Amino acid sequence: MTARRLLTRGNIGLALLVVVLLAMPNLASAFFVNFVLTQTMMLGVAAATIVFLARYGGMVSLAQFLLVGVAGFMFGNAAVEGGARGLNLGMNPWLAVVFAIVITTAVAFVLGALASRTTGLYFLMLTLVYAVIGFFVFAQIVELSGPGGITSIQRPDLMGPPVRLYYAGLVLSVLVYLGFKALGRATFGLTLQGVRDDPIRMASLGYNVPMHRTLAFTLAGFVAGLSGVLHVWWNGQIDPASIAIGPSLILLIMAVIGGISYFEGAWLGAFVYVLAFTYLRDLPLIDQIGITEARFNTVIGAVVLLIMVLSPEGLAGIAARVWRRVNKPASAAPTAPAGGPSSAA
Amino acid sequence: MTQTTPAPAVPAIADPVIQVRSVVVAFGGLLALKGIDLDVTRGERLAILGPNGAGKTTLFNVIAGDITPTDGTVAIKGRDCTFLPSRHRPRLGMARTYQKARSFDGLTIRENIYLALAGHRGRHWPLWRSPVDRRLDEEATEVAESVWLGDHLDTAAGELAHGQKRQLELGMAIATQPDVMLLDEPASGLSRGERERLVELLDSLAGEVTLLLIEHDMEVAFSLSQRVVVMADGAMVTAGTPEQIQSDPDVHEIYLGVEASS
Ligand SMILES: Nc1ncnc2c1ncn2[C@@H]1O[C@H](COP(=O)(O)OP(=O)(O)O)[C@@H](O)[C@H]1O
Ligand SMILES: [Mg+2]
Repeated sequence: MTARRLLTRGNIGLALLVVVLLAMPNLASAFFVNFVLTQTMMLGVAAATIVFLARYGGMVSLAQFLLVGVAGFMFGNAAVEGGARGLNLGMNPWLAVVFAIVITTAVAFVLGALASRTTGLYFLMLTLVYAVIGFFVFAQIVELSGPGGITSIQRPDLMGPPVRLYYAGLVLSVLVYLGFKALGRATFGLTLQGVRDDPIRMASLGYNVPMHRTLAFTLAGFVAGLSGVLHVWWNGQIDPASIAIGPSLILLIMAVIGGISYFEGAWLGAFVYVLAFTYLRDLPLIDQIGITEARFNTVIGAVVLLIMVLSPEGLAGIAARVWRRVNKPASAAPTAPAGGPSSAA
Repeated sequence: MTQTTPAPAVPAIADPVIQVRSVVVAFGGLLALKGIDLDVTRGERLAILGPNGAGKTTLFNVIAGDITPTDGTVAIKGRDCTFLPSRHRPRLGMARTYQKARSFDGLTIRENIYLALAGHRGRHWPLWRSPVDRRLDEEATEVAESVWLGDHLDTAAGELAHGQKRQLELGMAIATQPDVMLLDEPASGLSRGERERLVELLDSLAGEVTLLLIEHDMEVAFSLSQRVVVMADGAMVTAGTPEQIQSDPDVHEIYLGVEASS
């Protein structure tokens, strides 16, 4: 019965995609897997926390990359041993993971609580302030961040070969994707959408609206922290500049490129960004038309603009529209597009 | 200006469910309520009439906790609730509807009613579905059927027609089987047939349910209520039985005048 219900087209498509991604290390170059795809997975998870907050909670957050960074710094401080920069707590690396996640989640709880009475543009601005303050905290409290960043951060032995990191990112991505989607139908996901649609009504139904916002932000911070741990494992180092306002904006741009109301869009946006970031500068003739390193962001900006003009719902929105059109003739039969994103513009 | 008669003909009541005392609400310089006193007994059916801008909705907002009054007190079931936020009202057995329907437009009808039920039961946080949710869904389905929305369970509230939104609004209020209900113009914008069904539905509520009703439709208001309070310009003008109100010349002047004698 339930097994039958799981056999939707969306789920089959997802399963096929996962199989292909699992086989990628045998199909593609090590560089593509360990650089492009691994980054896509890590950034996709981080961008998915933006989608989670925006889609269910109506909150567009610029602070998610800060939380990625907090986890990275905390892992670095906890795991690195004497002589290096940072706090040198020298913990067991797995204990350091727990430490990093707990701190990140606690920070997210406090930031979420402070922002829990704001919505819309005010929430966006407040999280922008968080990102700026967070950068300065790490830039100036050198005991926590260096000085000049924490380097030679080792990942646990289990995660030694780079391809394992890719698999870890893939597993985390699948769990986060399925988890966030399932949450949309569970009580907390429904209450959050209620808070998004009408906080006053939610209060009169008995809900503590600021607490719902706070815990949503905390949950998103927890997941961003997981992404942050993978990120610092992959990078081997972290410095304050890597969590400056630039990268925070880029994470939001990924979510927007992908489609901020689709969870698929988070990974799609991350993939497109990493692809562009990796290969665009290698295109032949690219120098001749004047796109140099310094102008790279202009190109990204133009791409974002183009996507926004074509579809405010991003790439996932375009895909959903094409999907609906292709399925039009078949949809004479009463099959609802199960599994597909429900928000139709 | 009519003189303010502070709720005349109100007997000293034994079992007050709502006690409003000298409530004043100021929006900036505008006095939306200028010192309202109101007692409502258990099981009473009270209609509040008055022209637009009289302060009826504001009075509901004060009782329901959506607005804290500038001055005065509100007690519900003997408990001072003047500063108690609206989210504690469901536990006191209170539910309300809004004049401008406030549904969760991105959610289905079933989910809207589910949220009303879950809010009342204190089921606010679970991260995954469980058999409890299935039972709540079944209850939500029953509620939807009782407000004639059984065929639209999976329709997003944002796609409903006006009348259906009002039905959903009512469903979310009756879902938790409250014993105090505040209904803000439940019949506005409904067709004649829908109005009749509404009256029928409200008539079928258990006798101990206290009902406060703001209503422009005289037929609906008079047929459902035992007592009528008339407000104008932030003050209580008069109160009485539907028969008394219908024959009150003051009321005709400020309110019914336009409608001729019904
Ligand atoms: N939130 C608010 N802010 C400012 N003025 C308000 C607000 N709510 C109501 N008012 C004003 O208070 C007065 C009473 O409004 P209301 O209670 O909605 O009247 P009614 O429901 O009787 O039509 C009106 O003049 C209205 O403009
Ligand atoms: Mg009103």
